[in-house]
Parts: sequence; C-alpha cells; structure tokens
Amino acid sequence: MCAIVAAVAVTSAGARPVATPGVSATEIHLGSSVPLSGEAAIAGNVARGIDAYFKYVNDKGGVFGRNITFTYLDDGYDPGRSVNNTIRLIQQEQVLAVFSSLGTSNNLAVRKLLNDAKVPQLYVSSGATTFGRDYKKYPWTIGYIPPYSEEGALYGRYVVKNIKRPKLAVLYQNDDYGRDLLGGLRRGLGGKAKSIVASVGYDPTSTDVQPQVTQLKASKANVLMVFAFGKFSLQAFNAVSRLGWKPQIFVNDVSSASALMAIVPQSAANGAISIVFGKDPASPLWRNDKGIKLFQTILGKYGTSITSRDLKDGYFTAGMATAFTMVDTLKKAGKNLTRQTLMNAATHLDEKGNPFVLPGIVIHTTPSSRFPLTQVRLQRWSGNAWHPFGKLISAKPG
Amino acid sequence: MLAAFTWTEFAQQLAAGIREGAIYAGLALAIVIIYRSTRVINFAQGEMATFTTFIAWSLMNHGLSFWTAFPIVLAVAFAGGVAIERIVIHPVANASVVTIVIVTLGLALLLNGLTSVIWGGESRQFKGPFSTRTIDVGGVPISVQDIGIVVVSIGLVALLALFFRYTKLGLALRAAAVNPESSRLVGIRVGWMLALGWGIAAVLGAVAGMMIAPVVFLDPNMMQTILLYAFAAAVLGGLDSPVGAVVGGILLGVTITMLGRYVGFIGSTLKLPAALVLIFVLLLVRPGGLFGRVAERRV
Amino acid sequence: MRLRLWLELAGFAVLAVVVAAVPRFVSDFRARELAIVGMYFIALLGLSILTGHSGQISLGHGAFMAIGGYTTAVLSVNGVYGHQIRDLWTIPIAGVIAGVAGLLVGLPALRLSGLYLALITFGIAVSFPQLPKKFDHFLGGTTGKILALPRPPFGLSTTTNNWMYYLTWGIALVLLLAAWSLVRGKTGRALKAIRDSEVAAASSGVSLAKYKTLAFGISAFYAGVAGSLYAIANAYVNPDVFPIILSVYLVVGLAVGGLDSLITLIAGAGLIYFLQNHADTVARWLNHLPALNLDPKQPGIPSLVFGAVLIVVMLLLPGGAGGLLRRLFGSLTGRR
Repeated sequence: MCAIVAAVAVTSAGARPVATPGVSATEIHLGSSVPLSGEAAIAGNVARGIDAYFKYVNDKGGVFGRNITFTYLDDGYDPGRSVNNTIRLIQQEQVLAVFSSLGTSNNLAVRKLLNDAKVPQLYVSSGATTFGRDYKKYPWTIGYIPPYSEEGALYGRYVVKNIKRPKLAVLYQNDDYGRDLLGGLRRGLGGKAKSIVASVGYDPTSTDVQPQVTQLKASKANVLMVFAFGKFSLQAFNAVSRLGWKPQIFVNDVSSASALMAIVPQSAANGAISIVFGKDPASPLWRNDKGIKLFQTILGKYGTSITSRDLKDGYFTAGMATAFTMVDTLKKAGKNLTRQTLMNAATHLDEKGNPFVLPGIVIHTTPSSRFPLTQVRLQRWSGNAWHPFGKLISAKPG
Repeated sequence: MLAAFTWTEFAQQLAAGIREGAIYAGLALAIVIIYRSTRVINFAQGEMATFTTFIAWSLMNHGLSFWTAFPIVLAVAFAGGVAIERIVIHPVANASVVTIVIVTLGLALLLNGLTSVIWGGESRQFKGPFSTRTIDVGGVPISVQDIGIVVVSIGLVALLALFFRYTKLGLALRAAAVNPESSRLVGIRVGWMLALGWGIAAVLGAVAGMMIAPVVFLDPNMMQTILLYAFAAAVLGGLDSPVGAVVGGILLGVTITMLGRYVGFIGSTLKLPAALVLIFVLLLVRPGGLFGRVAERRV
Repeated sequence: MRLRLWLELAGFAVLAVVVAAVPRFVSDFRARELAIVGMYFIALLGLSILTGHSGQISLGHGAFMAIGGYTTAVLSVNGVYGHQIRDLWTIPIAGVIAGVAGLLVGLPALRLSGLYLALITFGIAVSFPQLPKKFDHFLGGTTGKILALPRPPFGLSTTTNNWMYYLTWGIALVLLLAAWSLVRGKTGRALKAIRDSEVAAASSGVSLAKYKTLAFGISAFYAGVAGSLYAIANAYVNPDVFPIILSVYLVVGLAVGGLDSLITLIAGAGLIYFLQNHADTVARWLNHLPALNLDPKQPGIPSLVFGAVLIVVMLLLPGGAGGLLRRLFGSLTGRR
C-alpha cells in the first residue's frame, strides 16, 4: 500500500525523474491547507502572514538563492477538502513539504497519507498533543505551539500552588481541543483533582454559553477555567459579568488575544490568568518592539488586501512566527535540500531570536521531542492589557 | 457532571430560555411573513440580519448612539429587503421551488462572504441599549438585558400585529398574500406588496440581530445556528401563522434550554437534534404545526 | 419516441467511452478530482429520483451520504466481530443501510409536503453531524476515523487516483443505467404522476405511500453509495467531512444539472466541485471585469463568489443544464 501511494508521488512527477519535488536551483515550493471560507475563515490569516513573510525573505535573496513559493489552498475547515488539497499539493503542485496546515481534524485526516508518502508535515497549526507525541508512528510529522494538555496541566499546577481551598468550575468545548485542556488540568491538579466541582461542555453549534455558565456558577466554585474557543470565550466572560460572579478566571491561550480580552466586560476580565508565548500585536506591551514593528512593516508591504485592523491581528503574527521557524529550518537543512534533510533540520532545531515570540524563548526540538514551542510565561490581565509575570516556564510534556 | 438543582438557577435558565425564544420568535416571524407573501423560505434571513447589524455597528463606531443608529438601520434594512425581493426574487418567482431555494441560499452565501470582506471575520463587541446589570426578581438575579430583549421583541411583534390588522396597507399585504388574483382586481399592486413583505422581514431580522449581538458578540456567522432554531420555531408554529411563529419561538427557546440543561443525555450536543425530533413528532400529529392550516387532501 | 430512445442510448455510449478514455489525457490528480465529481453525480442521480421525479424536496441528503460514509468507516476500521471488512465490499452495505434510513425517513415524510418536508430534511442535515459527536466511542467523535488508504485490488498496477476514478465512474455508469430504466419504466411514470398531481395519481390507483417512500429509499441508497466512496477516497471521516452545507450543495447541483434530468447532472456535480475547490480561479476570472479587484486569498471571497455565481446561474438558467438541453434538443425529438 505504501508502495502504491509512493508510486503515485513519483509517477505523477512526469517523465523525467526529479531529485526532490519542490526544490530547484531557484525555487522552494511549500504548501498548506487552511480555511479561507466558512466558520473558521479568520484563521486563514495565518497563511496570509506566512505568505507575506516569505515574500520579504525572497526580496532579501531567499534561502541559499532559492525563492520560496507558498501555495495555500482553501479547505473551508472541511477535512475532506484538506485531504483533496494535500493530495493536490503533493501530486500537482509538487511541493517539498506541507506546513502549518490548520485544524486538528484537518491535520489528522492527512497525517497518514503524508507519512506514507514521506512528505514532511511540518509545524502543524493545532495544539493537539498527538502531533508531537506520536512521532514513532508518524515520523514525518511535527507540531508547533505548546500542546493544550500541557497548558491545562500548567493551570492545574498553578492552582495547587497558589490558591487556597480551590473549587474549580470548568467550561470546555466538547471536542478534542477542550478535552485536551481538561485532561491536562486534571493531571496538573494531581491529588487535588477532586477540587473540580463542576465541568460543563458545550457544543460548537451552541448559540450562547450563558446557560452553561449559569450552571457552573450554581456550583459555588471560586475558580473558573474557560477552555472555550473565540466567541464562546467572550460569551463566557459576558455571562460571568452579567451573573455577578467573581471567580478567579483562567482563559486558554487560543482565546486570549488582547483584541478579544479588551471587548469583554472588564470587571470580569480583570485578574484573569493565561499563558503566552507569542507577541500579541494588539498589546501595548509590544507597541515599540522591533519584532512587532518588523511584523507590521512586512505585512503592510508584502501582504495583500491588508487593512489597518489586520496589523493588530494575532493570526498574522502567528503565521510569521511559524514562517520564521520554517526559514530557519530551510537554512539549517542546507544547500542540499531534500525531504529527508528538511525533516532532520526540523527535528534538530535550536532557534533563538524569533522576533515574533517572547524574548528568551528557544525553539528546540529533537527527534524524540517534537514540541518546538515549550516555553511560556503566565500573564495576568489588568488595565486593559496582559502583564506577564514570573519566569519562562516549561510546557513540555513528559 | 450535572450540577445540583437549585430553584434560583432554574429561574435563571428559564429567563435565558425566554430570551432565546424571543430572538427565535423575531426571526421566525420574518420567515413566516416572507413565506406567506411569496411562498418562499428565505434561507438568507440570518445573513440579512447579520449584515444589517454590522451596518449598525459601523454607525455606532462612527459615534452615533444606539437609539440614533436604530431607525437608520431599520430604514436601510427595509430598503434592502425590498431591493432583494425586486431584483433577485421576483425574476424567479415562477420558477420551481428548488430554484428559488437555491437563490436564497446563494444570497446567504453571498451576504456571508460580503460581510467578511467588508468588516473582517473577527468577533467584535456590540454595545446594546440595555445595561448588563441584574435586578432582583423575587430573590433571583435576572439580567436587565434579557428583560429588555424580550420586551423589544414582543413590542415589535405587537406593533406589527396592529399594523396588519388595523391599517389599509397591512390589510392590502394580507390580501396580496392570501389571494393575489383578486387583490389585483381590487387595485392592489401585488408586486410591491410582496416587496413590502420582504422589507418588513428584513426589519425584523435587523432588530433580532441588534438585540442578540450584545450577548453573543458580533461576527459574520452570528446568526447561523439561531436561524436554524428560527426555522424550527416557524415550522413548530405553522409556516403560515405569524402567531404560531411567536408562540413557537418562545416555546422552543424555553424547551430546548431546559432540556439541554436538565437532561444529561441531550446536553449541549443534542440540542439541535432534540428540536428536530420535537418538531417532527408534532408535525406527525398536526401536519400544519401548532397554528397552521394545511388544506386537507382527502384521497 | 424511438428516436429519443436511440439518442439517449447513444448519449450513454458516448459517455461511457469518454469516461473510459479520459484518464489517459489528464493528470493523476485531475483523475481524483473527476472521481469526486463522479461521487457527487451518483448522489445527484438519487436526488433527482426523489426531488426531480417524485417532487419531494430533500435538503438533507448529505446526511444519507454521511450514513454511507460512516458505515464504510465503521466496517473498515472497527470491523464486524473484530474482522475488518475490505473497503470495496462495504460500498453496497453502506448503500443498503443508507437506503433503509431513507425508507425510515420516507414513511413519516408522507405526512409532510412541500416546504415542511424541505425544512424537516434540512433539520436532519443539521442534526446528523451531532450524532458522531455524541456516540464518539463508536463513531469517532470529532477526532474521526482513519481508514486505510484505498488500493487497487488484485495487485493491479494503477495509481490510487486512477483506481478511485474507475471504481467511482464504473459504479456511476451502472447506477445511471439503473436510474434511467427506473425512470422510463412503470416506477418512473408513477413518480412523475405523483409529482404532477398527487390527487390525480392516487385516483388512478397509484399507491402514494409505496412510491413516495420507495423514492426516498432509492435516493438514500444512491447517496449512501456516494458517501461510502467519498469516505474511501479521503480515508477519513468525521462530522465535518459531511457538513450541513453538503446537503445544500447537493440541491444546488440538482438545480444546476436539471431537476429531472439524469446525464446533465454531471454538469451540476462538476459545478459543486469546481466552485468549492477552485473558487480562487473563478475570482481571478472575475477580476477581468472592470472595476473588480478581488483578492482570491482573502477570507470570505470564496463564499462571495460561490453565492454570486449561484444567483446568476439560477436567474439565467432556471431549468438548469437539463432545461437548456431540452430547449435545444426539444425540437429534434418533437418534444417540448
């Protein structure tokens, strides 16, 4: 079976055998599948950020004289289309590697076929732990952001250390993402896992999470974990405020962008804790930061259809951070660029100075430790901004 | 794990359910008005509401207060509804049902994409006219916003009921919907009556959008799930019954909220399927919905 | 009349020849794309029998595709008593199970008509994706189920994509013949009679219950087969693989292909596939028009383009491709 699929990749390369698809003397071709339509369309801005960054790098001479071509296709968040897109990227577009494709199920859907075809699946845009953990079965796959389970564990450990007589209520999205966070929380609480007095899941087809928050408040908890996505997290803060409840809130990183925190009732938001590893372009902390200024310059010059709102959109920044790591990986792979050398580079990263993540973070991987970003800081919201506190802590599993 | 039962929480869930239901009622009424007048199910109803709510947001972003922007948005919504009927729906009015369904679906896609393109896809705050305080109702803290939403929705419905019943224009609209041929004979401009129906429906949608946006936050996909419940409410009440739409809306809102909270098996995941099953069962017993009329076909 | 029969048979023969020959001239990936078009075509054939020929609107056929897809997934991955079933053999099983589901829906649907039926079936499309989430141990939840990649049988040395192409179109041609003979025969006449006037049909002795339910069952069978093939081609299922919008796209394909046509449904299937996966190409074409400067990569543009194209096509061609064909060839065969 593997032979057939690999044969597919080779026979569709045309009559003349190509040494490595996606690499020529002048070009490196990378691909991605992201949502540009439908519910998750805003996340597609990650790919636009990557695109802008690559154009900037090309303008400065590319990588060893090769320009990066980035082909990103719309999958509307539908894993069936992700499969279609990925097969097209491998067979028709002949990309060197697929990177930063977005969505947990979207990446799960293509993981086997990419690994069977020995095409690198790099820097998956999802925090599901499996992408970094299951490398023995899927050696061509590697994640990027700190896994959700570790994030949850971090919050658990913090609660145990810092909150007296904690009674936890958890609002979580009823899918892998929310359950990953919840599972990690339980692990981090260790012997104190029983301090979770109420946990309520919501389905992403919900219109509003006020009923769930009302239920959680009735449990008389003094800590609330918001493991909710985007607008549901916003609604949760809204509901907490409307109900006059004042727990210590922890909000998960995916929903912690300053742009989001700024529009919820501040009486509920103040004091909320989250983790951070990237630079949020909407935060006053980085207003004069060289990295964010670079981000805005690049986006303005090389992005397409960029509005002033986009310059503060963390999705674009996340894209550039990933793109920076990708360029780093390409450089590390050297002039002799093949899928194998690329994969080797990706599993031997030691990247410092990514201008789009927190200062001091080292993006580090080994073949058996495939979570590139494992350092975070805790941060607390007050006065309309996030304030990191404490040192860089590890979000590394195991 | 289900939290324990308290009366306070029960009352709060009930209030939330009524508020949800009021929103469904508004949209369901819009659906019914369009159905009655043009025999079309307007799948774009939600996206029209979202679009007009974004217009309200833009106006308020430029400094207008909510109540100043409110009538402007209603006027724009009305004009938009009329325009859509004249330009997009009227040309296919005599085509097959499927064709018309496709047109409204295409309209929904188009509006959704357009909203994203003009305003971007991220969630944004929408400052509603009601404060977010709670007031004490018999010992239970109820949100002022919830009460305000219900009052406005019901008020609007009442106004419309008066309009349909006691004004010449309302009468003409009803006549055109029920019997277009005879209405023409009496001198009613049936075509414009249909457009008027769409305009009114657009206004209803705009109000629903502006009421719910402060609670759920505004983004291009805000109305999608709400519209599904609104369809269910319209069918529940009877597709040709405005009263049914309102009653169906509130009934559905309360029932689904309560089922979702107190029946563990349903939880949050099976709320929509539960609504479907309820409607389905009801339709088996009363094929026209609660208040609708279905011409009996004795064969 | 006989001329029409010969024309239709000739058309089928031409189609079969084209289908057999095409992979020689297109890239491997294109073969995969055409295979997926074929899957939509199969689903549309079924929908045509239901909506075009018996007049019952269904906005929920994506759910029947999902039933087929999940049947294949469960049988291939979980297996029966631990024995995994080869993807090929699951296809007819998936069709049958979906067909039975269709019958089960068709029975109570007898009590509903017109838009009530449309909305209830839409409700099914909306509700169905929730089931795998609820019964996630068995159906995989949002994580989904990963199937083995499709492989040609008997060690045939052809690529995976070509194999899916021939498998799909082979099944499609057979099912097209089946649909064609059904529609031409007694059942088809009964269905059309029901569509045109239920009262008249019933008074001439046509059993409404039997034929209307049968139409649901058959159309669901077709959708189930299509869904099964889709699951095999993607080697993955989860609720998002058969989303709500899929049911909408199927009706779109039907309308564009021609409500009660059969062969022209290929155009409808092609349009669904093309607009979803090549919306950026369409956006670039549109940019040739003055004053339009769409960025195909901007989130929202694909939906905008899709919606606009749908409206324009429906305004210009309310009868779809089938209607157009009929107008063109109506004079030929003496039929209007």
